[in-house]
Amino acid sequence: MITITNLTRTYVMGTVQVHALKGISLKINKGEFISIMGASGSGKSTLLHQLGLLDIPTQGEILIDGKNVSKLSEKERSLFRLTHLGYVFQEYAIISELTALENVYLPMLMTGRKKQDCINTGIDILKRVGLGDRLDHLQHELSGGQQQRVAIARALVNKPKILFADEPCANLDSESSRQVLELFKKLNTELEQTIVMVTHEDWHMKYTDRVIHLKDGLI
Amino acid sequence: MISKFPFFLACKSIQRGNKGTSVLTVLIISLIFVNLIFFPSIVDGVEETLIRQSIDHVCSNVVIEPKDDQRYIDNADSIEKKINKLPGVVGTSSRYVSGATFFYNNKLKSGSIHSIDPSDEEVVTKFHSGLIAGEYLGKENTNEILLGIDITGKEGEVTGDSDLGGVQVGDKIDVTFSNGVIRNYRVKGIFDISSININRYAFITEKEMESVLGLENQASEILVKLSRRGTEEEYRTNFVELGISEDIKTWGEKTADRIGSLVSSFSLLTVISTVISLIMAVVVIFIIIYINTVNKKRQIGILKAIGIEQNVIINSYVIQVLFYCFCGIAIGLLLFGIIASYLSVNPIRFPLGYVEPMVKQVLILQNIICLIVFSLIAGFIPAWRTANENILKAIWG
Repeated sequence: MITITNLTRTYVMGTVQVHALKGISLKINKGEFISIMGASGSGKSTLLHQLGLLDIPTQGEILIDGKNVSKLSEKERSLFRLTHLGYVFQEYAIISELTALENVYLPMLMTGRKKQDCINTGIDILKRVGLGDRLDHLQHELSGGQQQRVAIARALVNKPKILFADEPCANLDSESSRQVLELFKKLNTELEQTIVMVTHEDWHMKYTDRVIHLKDGLI
Repeated sequence: MISKFPFFLACKSIQRGNKGTSVLTVLIISLIFVNLIFFPSIVDGVEETLIRQSIDHVCSNVVIEPKDDQRYIDNADSIEKKINKLPGVVGTSSRYVSGATFFYNNKLKSGSIHSIDPSDEEVVTKFHSGLIAGEYLGKENTNEILLGIDITGKEGEVTGDSDLGGVQVGDKIDVTFSNGVIRNYRVKGIFDISSININRYAFITEKEMESVLGLENQASEILVKLSRRGTEEEYRTNFVELGISEDIKTWGEKTADRIGSLVSSFSLLTVISTVISLIMAVVVIFIIIYINTVNKKRQIGILKAIGIEQNVIINSYVIQVLFYCFCGIAIGLLLFGIIASYLSVNPIRFPLGYVEPMVKQVLILQNIICLIVFSLIAGFIPAWRTANENILKAIWG
C-alpha cells in the first residue's frame, strides 16, 4: 500500500539545518492500523506530513499503491489528497462557518458529485460516528470529542485509501479519546480502513496493529 | 458542480460570518459609490444649468452674426422671415448691441445695451421671466429701459462704484451710447437672472435703438429658437441652403469659451475625486479581505490539506467581494436616488443659479464597472497571498 524509501526531510532555518527525517524506509500494508510513536521532536508528525502529501520531502520516494506521489505537481497532489487520503488533525480542524453535515460532505462536493448524494452520504457517516442528532450543529455547538468525530467523518467521506491522524486525541479527555480510538478500530476492522496515526500515549498502542517508534528522525 | 463549489463556500461564509463586518463593508462600498457618482453628477448639473441658462437667456439655440468684415447683418427682416418658415423653428429675435454708459445720481456704470422686439424676444429667450420689479417692455416704448440688477444695484447696499447705487423702477437715468448719443430713460423694469453676465445688460426696444443708431432693418445678431435642442447643426446646414451667408453659430460654439473652461476645471476635480474614491474602495476592500483571510489562515490551510484547490478558495473570497460590491452598489444607487430626488425638489443654489445633480446612465455604468474591477483586484490579492501559503505554515503558523 505505502512504500517509503530513504525518506529525508531537512528544514532550513536561517543558517541552521534541521534534519527532521534522516532516511526512513518503511512499508505499510493495506488494512493496517499503524501508530507512529516517539518523543517530541523525533520526527513523527513530519513523517505523517510527508506520507499525507502535506509537505514535500527533501529526498526519497513515496509510493502509494505503486504510484510515485513524490513527483506529483501541486495540483495533482491536491487532487490526490482529496480523492485518496483522509486527515484528522490534532486540533478540532473543522470549518466554523459550516454545520457538522456541511463539514462532512464538503470534500465530496468538491469531487463533483451531486449535492443530494453528498448530503445523504454525509448523514450516513455522521450517524456511523454517533452524531446523527448533531447534523445541523455549528462548531461552537459541539464538544471537543464531537468536533473530532466530525473531522473523522469528513476524512472518511470520499472513502480514502489511507486515513492519517495526527495526535487526534491530544486535546480530548480520556473518555472522548477512548471513543475516537474505538471508532478508528471499528473502521479498521469492519471496513479494512488503512489508518496511520501519530500518538504519544502508550495506552493507544493496544488499538493498533503495529507501532513504529521514531527517534531522532530514524526508525 | 466544481465551479459551484466556491459559491457554496462564499455563501456559507457570508451567511454565517460576522454580520457586523458584512454590513459595514457594504455600507462603506455604498458610500464610496455615492461619492463616485455624486460629484460628477453635480458637475454635469452645473454644466447643464450653464447651457440651459445660455440658451434660455443669452443666445438661444443658434445665433446669426455679421460676417467678419461687417458690423451689422443687412436685411434682417428678410432673413428672419426665411428662417421662421422652416419647420422646427419656434421663433427668431433680432438685436442691436451697443456699448453704453449709464448715469444716475452722479454715479456711472459701463455696460452693454441690447435692443429687442419684446414680443419676438419672449418667444426666443426667457429673460423676461427674471423681472423682479416693474414691467416688461412694450413694442412701442421708446423712452423706457429694462436694467439688470448688476447695473441698478440695491438700495442701501454699499457697493462702491460697481453699480448705480440702487436705481428703482420709475427712476430716470441717462444713457450715453457708443456713438455719443445721450438719452434719458425711465426705468420700466429690473431683472435678476442667475446667469453669467446677463445682469450686466440693459434692454430697450428695437424702435428706440434704430433711432439712436440711425439704422433700419439691420441687426447685430439674430437669435433663433429651435423646438429641439441637439438639432442645431442640422439647422445650420438648412440656413446655409436658404442662402444665409452670415456667420452662423450654435449655442455650443457661442458659449464654448465661457462654459468650456469652467467645465474642464470641474472635470479635473471630478477625475481627482473619482481616483480618490476608487483608491478608498481598493484600500477598504483590501483591508477587509486581508483581515478576513489572515483570521481564517488556519481554515484555508485545512481546506487545502483536505484537497480543496487553491483557486477554489481564492474564488470563494472573490465571490464574497463581488457580493459585497453588488450590495454596496445597489444600496449606493438607492442612496443616490434619494439624494438626487431631494435635490431635484430642493436644488443647490450656486452663484450661477440652481443646480440639481444630472444623472447620466453612462456615468453610473462606468463607475459600476470601475468599482467592480477595482474591488475584484483588491479582494483577489490578499486571498491569493494567504491561499498561496504553505499548508503546514497556514495551519500551524
